[in-house]
Amino acid sequence: MRDRVTQITDEIYLLCILHNVGAIYPERALSIEEISCLASMEKQKVEENLNRLIEKGYAETKTSGETKKYFVTINGMRKVLSIYS
Amino acid sequence: MLTWEYPPRIVGGISRHCEGLAREIAKSGHNVHIVTLEFPGASPYEEVDGVKIHRVPIELGHPDFIVWTLLFNHFMEKKIADISKNEKIDIIHAHDWLVAPASISSKHYLRVPLVSTIHSTEVGRAQGLYNPDSFLIDGFEWWLTYESKRVIVTSYAMKSELEGHFRLPSEKIDVIPNGIDISRYEINVDRNNVKRRFGIDPSERIILFIGRLVPQKGVEYLIMAAPKIFGQHPEARIVIVGDGWVKDNLWNLARSTGYPHKITFLGFLSDQDVIELTISSDVLVIPSIYEPFGIVALEGMAAGVPVVASNVGGLAEIIEHDRTGFLAYRENPDSIAWGVNKILSDFGYAQWLVQNAKKKVREVYSWKAVASRTIEIYEKALKG
Repeated sequence: MRDRVTQITDEIYLLCILHNVGAIYPERALSIEEISCLASMEKQKVEENLNRLIEKGYAETKTSGETKKYFVTINGMRKVLSIYS
Repeated sequence: MLTWEYPPRIVGGISRHCEGLAREIAKSGHNVHIVTLEFPGASPYEEVDGVKIHRVPIELGHPDFIVWTLLFNHFMEKKIADISKNEKIDIIHAHDWLVAPASISSKHYLRVPLVSTIHSTEVGRAQGLYNPDSFLIDGFEWWLTYESKRVIVTSYAMKSELEGHFRLPSEKIDVIPNGIDISRYEINVDRNNVKRRFGIDPSERIILFIGRLVPQKGVEYLIMAAPKIFGQHPEARIVIVGDGWVKDNLWNLARSTGYPHKITFLGFLSDQDVIELTISSDVLVIPSIYEPFGIVALEGMAAGVPVVASNVGGLAEIIEHDRTGFLAYRENPDSIAWGVNKILSDFGYAQWLVQNAKKKVREVYSWKAVASRTIEIYEKALKG
């Protein structure tokens, strides 16, 4: 997937992964561990990038038990889809 | 009609194209079903203006975009099979490669003609095929045109691209431009209030860009034109509406011009906000490096805003230089600045462009005309 756009940043890469696996609703949100596994990226790096995405309004979190989970917002979806059209 | 975007799922121009076309075809008495993708907050099924909209849930995801596309096509295909149990489907109309697999298999399953509209091509968007995904997408695009009985494009530039790149026979392609609902732009707007709402001083003159922030839109050339524009017109402000994956790069570029305080990024706005902001603007700039049609040009023309656009693709067909707008050289900040400065400096010239543009939009680009020509294409496809 990273071949698509060589200049793609880690932030956008993670946003794409969240979007493509369907984490576009709170009930389909994913944990850091799950995202780290899908993206083959260290958990700390995943968390740093996700925090930046939240600041920019492209992702949100929900808490499930003691686990924080992440999903893409509508603006985040538009950001991802802009790559492919 | 199959499309990956339909309001409120708005990515680019396809969403608005499909909405305008579907509404008008339904108005003329045809039974129109839209099969599209789910979107947060949108109903899985609704009927709007006679158009039956099915928003398909994507029950399976995959990190890879191409695999994700194949998965949602599978769910679209299932939805079409469901619809066909109760309704007789006469034509499948696909919009772009993203819905190619579902459209092609439905054509064979239902034994009905497939018509496709190719809004743009991968080779054009990416300005070449530089990675494996691009080659795959290019293959999907070719496959869709090959399987289609008729292929619709929105400009002669796009027709020539398909003839050249896909070796598609000329007689299989029909050119039908995009349309616009001009009544949405014929509203009274308090320009000062609109400006204040977006943090713009009423005394400032707005140079507007609307579109996805992706390389093909050439926004960097407008930003690079900033010093030459602000040098002559310190009262101007560049306002950028839209989002996309190059936004951070553009923001950094804006800082490097020395005028970041006069370049505003507003992000994605609602349709109504975009209309009101367009009407309140002094110039609309479309600096694209690739633009098969450029529906935003019609929106500016309908809103009564002078348009400065690159002399490329569909834009060069919509805009008549120095009569209905200003055509700037492609990838040329000096040329953009020249056009913007001329319009901001010469009120009479700006009004001349606006009057001619409005007349052209009204005469040529109505959805009624677009729908009527599309129905003719359907009939042609049905006759074999």
